Amino acid sequence: MKELSLFDKVKKDWMRNKSLYIMVLPVLIFFILFHYKPMYGAIIAFKDYTPALGIAESPWVGLENFSRFFSSVYFGRLIRNTILLSVYSLIFGFPAPIILALLLNEVRSKKFKGLTQTVTYLPHFISMIVVTGMLVDFSMTSGLFNDIIELFGGERSPLLQNPDLYRTIYVASGIWQEAGWGSIIYLSALSGVDSQLYEAAQIDGAGKWKQLLNVTLPGIMPTIVIMFILKMGTLMNMGYEKTILLYNPATYETADIISSYIYRIGLLDQDWSYSTAIGLFNSVINFALLLITNKLARKCGETSLW
Amino acid sequence: MKHRKTALLFTMAMTFALAGCGQKAGQEQTTAATSAAEGEQQTQTAGEFSYPMQAGDALTYWCELQGTVSPNFSNLGETPFAKAWMQETGVTIEFMHPPTGQIKEQFSLILADGNLPDMMEYSWVKDYPGGPEKAIKDGVILPLNDVFEQYCPNITAYLKEHPEVDKMIKTDDGHYYVFPFIRGDEKLCNTIGLMLRQDWLEELNLEVPETIEEWHTVLTAFKNEKGVAAPYCPEWTRDDFKDNDPFAYAFNTCRGFYIDDNGQVKFGAIEENYKNYLELMKQWYEEGLIDPDMATLKFDQVSAKMTNGSAGASMGFAGSRMGAWITAAQGNEPDYMLVAAPYPTLEKGAKPEFGQMDNQYPGTASVAITSSCKDVERAARLLDYAYGEEGHMLFNFGVEGESYEMKEDYPTYTDWVMTNPDGWPVSQAMSAYIRGNYNGPFVQDLRYLEQYYTIDQQKETPDVWGNSNAKSHKMPPVTPTSEESKEYSTIMNEINTYRDEMVLKFIFGTESLDNFDTYVKNIENMGLQRALEIQSSALERYNAR
Repeated sequence: MKELSLFDKVKKDWMRNKSLYIMVLPVLIFFILFHYKPMYGAIIAFKDYTPALGIAESPWVGLENFSRFFSSVYFGRLIRNTILLSVYSLIFGFPAPIILALLLNEVRSKKFKGLTQTVTYLPHFISMIVVTGMLVDFSMTSGLFNDIIELFGGERSPLLQNPDLYRTIYVASGIWQEAGWGSIIYLSALSGVDSQLYEAAQIDGAGKWKQLLNVTLPGIMPTIVIMFILKMGTLMNMGYEKTILLYNPATYETADIISSYIYRIGLLDQDWSYSTAIGLFNSVINFALLLITNKLARKCGETSLW
Repeated sequence: MKHRKTALLFTMAMTFALAGCGQKAGQEQTTAATSAAEGEQQTQTAGEFSYPMQAGDALTYWCELQGTVSPNFSNLGETPFAKAWMQETGVTIEFMHPPTGQIKEQFSLILADGNLPDMMEYSWVKDYPGGPEKAIKDGVILPLNDVFEQYCPNITAYLKEHPEVDKMIKTDDGHYYVFPFIRGDEKLCNTIGLMLRQDWLEELNLEVPETIEEWHTVLTAFKNEKGVAAPYCPEWTRDDFKDNDPFAYAFNTCRGFYIDDNGQVKFGAIEENYKNYLELMKQWYEEGLIDPDMATLKFDQVSAKMTNGSAGASMGFAGSRMGAWITAAQGNEPDYMLVAAPYPTLEKGAKPEFGQMDNQYPGTASVAITSSCKDVERAARLLDYAYGEEGHMLFNFGVEGESYEMKEDYPTYTDWVMTNPDGWPVSQAMSAYIRGNYNGPFVQDLRYLEQYYTIDQQKETPDVWGNSNAKSHKMPPVTPTSEESKEYSTIMNEINTYRDEMVLKFIFGTESLDNFDTYVKNIENMGLQRALEIQSSALERYNAR
């Protein structure tokens, strides 16, 4: 049989799966328009961009913007804060939805389970500005958190003005907001675990704890690994919104991260090229992290992204 | 079959081509018509020009929607003020507003996009990175010298009469760049100051404090006798309040740049005086005289504390704070009263050397015509209207018979404004008809303030807060060159971040004031000397204008 040329292959496939191609088209267009086309703009990181001249006409400055960032007094602090906050978010934030899902899975009362799920999902739908507004109010000397602290014999203090507490507040509120929502995917993975395995384990004399370790966890491990890899890829990718709403000069020391710095420099001072350079640097680190995790995951088990 | 298809295509192509021709011809006609109209108007400029102008394309106008307008109108164009302005000038204006509190971000995005509205109201001298001269060079806005000369008799006349304002609104190169917001009287320039509970002072048999020591006594009394959790509660998150901290002024310093007695530019935050101020703040903070949450307090929380009795003193504006708080609190507590306190001093009876004072041209809310504007004359004449007799009345008092009436040659606001039937506060009712009670491209009239302040304690504020030598220490609106300003903002960004952080740490006591020298050294290492040089040379050029 004659070898088909690429064009013919595509054509044949197109005829066969026309509707699938059409269905994927909007997604493709979305990615091209909003994710690939803007990449062109990233070249202003190497230019001195002014809107009047446009992206193409602005003069090249080489790596000047990058060296300016690396030599900034805040470089070390920004990197440290970004990494620490994201690592803490990962260490404490990643297992939270898994544990929640495992707990929910053991709940027998349907009503209670449904109620708990709804209550834990809810915070996810509250807008960030409302959540941070509540946090700021609760953390004040006269706020709810301080009421609780006083109840347990502690002393009232302005919590959000204390740089040592900032990370705790940031990470804990993140877990509170996202754990319920994040547990959905694990719950669905849990429902996919074969019930015969549990029966077999019970016959072998395994208690609840042994079942959890030897049946449930291995059952949902592929999902956990994939979620972990995806999470690693966005490790340094911390949005500025929550930070700029929560921090104040008193907590810059632990709170100021790369993206909030970009926000201040780029949007407030309109130093577009400089902020793009920092953003690009951030993305490169992210990409590297993604590659490393994927490689590790492939070495340790069969599950990986590609 | 195939032939028929081709034939069809051909005919279609022909039709399109023809239609295209027709359109083009039409367009040429209209351009001819417009140029004829332009010619007519040209002759008008030479002879008699009069409002309203002929109907034409709508102009786009970008500005912030003031907090006193937004509760009742979602667009400035819906207000009776804007309707009257459009009717009088004959120009249709399409107003565009950034979301509240995001004016800088939106401005930045519009600029990066390059598709500019015809007119933009912004703080060009302070908030355009690189300053107005750079904005002109970047091709964002137009230099207005020729425009003023050709189309703007009103503002030209005003500037001729007021050379000190003329000097402020130019760049060093002599370019005009905006239709400015001007405070028409120096009394309008003292807008921020200290205020505290008068009823408590009387109850405790205390005088309005004038010195730091007296302030300490009063705040301590508030704390101990009245059981107030946070006697002094400023909205510390506001930059303009931190720039004008009355207690720093008491030590003849401030956190930013000022002019010393010899006319030299100084940076306050590294001086020995500033250290003394920090020591005082630290002591007060420890004693619980300052609100412990000062770094996170926003307007709502300060308002709540000032009206419900958990704070006794604050700083701010006479209208939106003092007046609003008095009105709000008297509902529950009829005796509630605030009084303005003068800028404090160290010695009793001394005249305060420093104080808050806006420049007559504060730089805010001034309108530039952008390079995208297609009809510069129309935009210029629209804006120039405000600086003429009729425009001045409209911007400050609104529509005669609706929002004001002339009583013995004095424009008096009507009852609709002063006691609004729908229960709007005065500030909101005013904002429907005028811009005089906030800002915009016009000359503000003192007669607005005389009526806006309804309570005696408010009426005192310009004199109480204005009694200082602030004018000789205030940096005028200088304009660094575009090359300098990038360097300047890079340096000052780092310094300001560091200073704000350290100041709070010093006050909270998390950083010992023994380290003040290290702090100063760090700031110097960040390039303060260079920033001072840039400011000094900008000031020299300004003085030489």
